[in-house]
Amino acid sequence: MSEPARVDEADVERLAAHIGLTIPPGSRAAVAQHLAALLAAVRVVEEFALPETTEPASRFEP
Amino acid sequence: MSAPAIAAAVRAGKTRARDAVAGVLARIAQRDRTLNAFTAVLHGPALADADAIDRRLAAGEDPGPLAGVPFAAKNLFDVAGLTTLAGSRINADRPPATRDATAVARLRAAGAVLIGALNMDEYAYGFSTENTHYGPTRNPRDTSRMAGGSSGGSAAAVAGGLVPLALGTDTNGSIRVPAALCGVFGLKPTFGRVSRAGVVPLAWSFDHVGPLARDVAGLAAAFDAIAGPDPRDPVCSMQPPARCSDALTRGIDGLRIAVAGGHFAQLAADEALAAVGRVAAALGARHEVSLPEAHRARAAAQVITAGEAGAYHLESLRTRADDFDPMTRDRLLAATLLPAAAYVRAQRFRAWYRARVAEAFREVDVLLAPTTPWPAPAIGAPWTTRIGGTEVLTRGHLGVYTQPLSFIGLPVISVPVVAPGALPLGVQLIAAPFNEAALFRVAARLEGEGVVGSPATLPET
Repeated sequence: MSEPARVDEADVERLAAHIGLTIPPGSRAAVAQHLAALLAAVRVVEEFALPETTEPASRFEP
Repeated sequence: MSAPAIAAAVRAGKTRARDAVAGVLARIAQRDRTLNAFTAVLHGPALADADAIDRRLAAGEDPGPLAGVPFAAKNLFDVAGLTTLAGSRINADRPPATRDATAVARLRAAGAVLIGALNMDEYAYGFSTENTHYGPTRNPRDTSRMAGGSSGGSAAAVAGGLVPLALGTDTNGSIRVPAALCGVFGLKPTFGRVSRAGVVPLAWSFDHVGPLARDVAGLAAAFDAIAGPDPRDPVCSMQPPARCSDALTRGIDGLRIAVAGGHFAQLAADEALAAVGRVAAALGARHEVSLPEAHRARAAAQVITAGEAGAYHLESLRTRADDFDPMTRDRLLAATLLPAAAYVRAQRFRAWYRARVAEAFREVDVLLAPTTPWPAPAIGAPWTTRIGGTEVLTRGHLGVYTQPLSFIGLPVISVPVVAPGALPLGVQLIAAPFNEAALFRVAARLEGEGVVGSPATLPET
């Protein structure tokens, strides 16, 4: 079972700064909560052992 | 009247297209102050288009199979002359579209008359249509409740009898969820079956365009009009579409139908599972099929949606964060912070899951599953709900059964189960890619037997 990811307001502020994004102060707690939920979903996906040969489903046809 | 009935009457000269359109405009004026389904009503242009249909008929021309049928489109679709709001304040500052989205243009080419644009969750990133900028759309079955989303205006306009037909989009359930909560039919076609050209994206790799209607024949007629290749959409399939209106009388002999188990039977209200049971019993579907790792498919769909939506809106989030709907802004801000490796991992899982589900469809033609885990929540409902001892997001959990299916582009019809005195629920009919015809055969059988259907919320005119 996945443990909840720990994300705090300082985390989102720091990560956002790397991509030129300012998180409004009033949104930081909610953004941290939503990012934790997304990282929990990431964990659910990563816990599954995919075959090494599995390629991404995205496809580009020129 | 249903879309096919209107078209038949107009084509036979029993009704003028102008009268059909004027009737719809009167109903909108009467009822939409309560429902708030429309963000724009095209009074003059719609009447002018209807007059043009009538003139063509008078001249002996064929205006198309949907002659005079009023329809409306989610405001995510480009309509020439209208600004495409996408449910946002930010896009309201943009100039009007110069060209119709392909799906809108195809319905018009088939003779249908565009009545207006419909409310939605901002940028299609939600399941409730509690839009802060344009107000919540109310469910015609109980106006204290959500219409569902993100195509909430589309479902409410159809369920409320304002238009017989509407266009919506579905990335994670945005046609099927509101169709279920409002008690109408909704089709999410195979990914790439209907062009997305002229539609503001949510997540490029699984955005779908589809119709909502009060009856199966109307849904099929709309699908037949909009399906098919389009050079304006790079992912649109070149495979010619099968005509589904012809499938409605074929019956269900030879179709292998089963119930989806596992994930699709967990964390749901009893009545949602009972609705599946009613449909299964009517079809004689006794077997259960499990789609492996469906809960992970849902998680991967959330990751990909966030990754693509966050990337698409990054520049607006940098410059106009305060202008976003608070219902979407904080989720989109979080989405921009996802690691790239997580996105790629989810896309790899998607390839694996697609292959496993394809194996399942070698043994079955149509699967049944609930559309939503419960009926429409109240507008402004608490953020979380407890179900089966687990706390879930009241709005996010509405997509628990739709997300694992659109994730791999399967065609799905949500059929309405409307018991007297109860709120509507939906049952998903699910098929292998490009097998929409099987879904229409099953939907037509269920409708013919009275197991599913979309009763009027107002007396018919």
